[in-house]
Amino acid sequence: MAKHGLAALMLCGALTLVASQGIAAETLKIGMVAPLTGPAAESGRFQVNGAKLAADEVNKAGGVLGKQLELVIEDDQTTNPGAVLAFSKLAGDSDIPAFIGSIRSTQVHAMAPDVIKTGKPMMIGGTDPKLTHMGNPWLFRFRPNDTYSARVIAEYGVNVLNRKKWAIVHSTDAFGTAGKNALAEQLKALGAEVMITQGYTNNSQDFTPVALAVKQAGAEVLSSYVTFETDQGILAKQMRQLGVDLPWIGSTTIATTSALRLAGAALNGTYGVTDYTEKASPASEAFAQKYMAAYGTKADVFAAWPFDAVTVLAKAINNAGGTDPEKIRAAIMDISGLAGAEGTYDFDQNGDGLHGYNIVHNDNGTIVFERRIDFKD
Amino acid sequence: MSMIPQLLFTGLGIGSIYALVALGFVLIYRATNVVNFAQGDFSMIGAFIMVVLAIDLGVPYWIAVIVAVVTMAAFGILFNYGVYYPLRHRTFLPVVISTIGASILLQNGVLAAYGPHPQSLPPMLPFPGFTVGGVFLDSQYLLILVVTFALVALQYLFFERTMLGKKLQATSQDKEMASLLGIPVALMIGITFAYSAVLGGVAGILVAPLLFVSINMGSTIALKAFAASIIGGFGDVTGAIVGGLALGVVETFGAAYISVPYKDGFAFLVLFLFLMVRPQGVFGEKVAEKA
Repeated sequence: MAKHGLAALMLCGALTLVASQGIAAETLKIGMVAPLTGPAAESGRFQVNGAKLAADEVNKAGGVLGKQLELVIEDDQTTNPGAVLAFSKLAGDSDIPAFIGSIRSTQVHAMAPDVIKTGKPMMIGGTDPKLTHMGNPWLFRFRPNDTYSARVIAEYGVNVLNRKKWAIVHSTDAFGTAGKNALAEQLKALGAEVMITQGYTNNSQDFTPVALAVKQAGAEVLSSYVTFETDQGILAKQMRQLGVDLPWIGSTTIATTSALRLAGAALNGTYGVTDYTEKASPASEAFAQKYMAAYGTKADVFAAWPFDAVTVLAKAINNAGGTDPEKIRAAIMDISGLAGAEGTYDFDQNGDGLHGYNIVHNDNGTIVFERRIDFKD
Repeated sequence: MSMIPQLLFTGLGIGSIYALVALGFVLIYRATNVVNFAQGDFSMIGAFIMVVLAIDLGVPYWIAVIVAVVTMAAFGILFNYGVYYPLRHRTFLPVVISTIGASILLQNGVLAAYGPHPQSLPPMLPFPGFTVGGVFLDSQYLLILVVTFALVALQYLFFERTMLGKKLQATSQDKEMASLLGIPVALMIGITFAYSAVLGGVAGILVAPLLFVSINMGSTIALKAFAASIIGGFGDVTGAIVGGLALGVVETFGAAYISVPYKDGFAFLVLFLFLMVRPQGVFGEKVAEKA
């Protein structure tokens, strides 16, 4: 009898073990590469928060394929080698069917060859147009790429503000130069004239020559591709001091909290493009409220795109009915008209989900939503 | 044509900042024979002290300036004992590496303590500036010019007319001889570090309302200041000032009339020409390597 008792006990133990393994296997892992340390650590916190918010929501609604979604987060240390290392750790785990990548284009470029080798989808936030145009079928973008910022700036300036003579000021780094080229092309297509194109190097301490050149160029509107907030601040102050009072449409930097704090009144009345702004749509407003309720701080673009990425990915895996990479890929491509925090997702054959930007206006230091401009292609 | 005086004014303003930081380079170089690669970070620290005092703690502006300057002096002494003093009997290389290490530590320390977002300081004077004949004279640039020239004049009097100044000079010229004459060499070097830190800090506080306060604000200025001190003649006080001003003017005019993206290029082109043609700088004397 005692023998039977022991056997029964062992059976119970074995069953419990199986059961607990069963529960452990009930999660579906998603890998995430994020800057937890290094200069971008603060933005990394927003990215992780945004992704977790979406995962919680997915889990409350029943999870993915009947399992709970679990984020496996690796630190990229805000460097390219760090990103590659973090990704290779995640790629080594065969239970992970898809990844959330980086908001930095340079890091995505660094990871891209390994993503091809791994052969599983990665959601990205980097906006270099090339990322989705270099034959890598596994990259899916959750922010509008930089060609759209140029199109939106040109469209708004020429057709809404009705300005035909343009001045372009741009950083000479990769971002600024690509933006300047795309903008010049768009303006030409819209029949506008570029009176002056003026580049500057990042971390310039003085913009007097730039401001004087713009002042004498006879332009009706100023547009800018500025990378750093400090440059944006100094540029704005000196433009105003030296009497350049043109309407101004800038790239994303012009409307960031940091730039507003640094430049103060010098940026009043300017326009900017931004991919995430709270009042852009009911979906972005709902996201902003949920984020505020969960973390007690305002959401920003760093939090918005991973939120959308996890939401879309969960939906795609559910639609695919399994974790086969090709099927997930096809399911993401099929996503259409999905309203996210950053805009309405409609994936094209390149893997770009969004095709437009928001125009915002600086109304005496407060950023207000002006309009959304979307393109069909 | 208001363009030329406008550019000249800005060039001299930005040049004065280079001059102040270059002065810090030169004084420490003369006292210790090493280049202090953390000199630019003195400016960054000074500016951040101002942000903490004037913005975060709400201390009245001018009191904050005084406290910041005194703190920078103390910081210079601390820097001396932490970075230079333990290695003073070594060759120049370990000391240079030590200052580079200090620079990395300072930048990342501030990053950890204060976060990556650049900060701003309000202008020091209550009016933005004057417009004279179409030329805008920014009040902050005017202040920078005035303070730089006042500091240079005071420094001249201090080094030439006071006993302490002469002891400092003696120390920088020949440490062994100075110590034979009973001059406390270690103390003199400590004072030099304190003064250089104050100069760097003042430069940082002065540019903060113009260029904002960020972790790497010092590196950009220090690179130009370093070039300025070589152009002027490394180790020469007048040279550092003239070199700084000249560099500011050259790069501003070069940017306006030739190319803005190559603005930094002009500064380094001048440096390059000097290294080729007159490596001892404008005011430097040709000295044979000491045996």
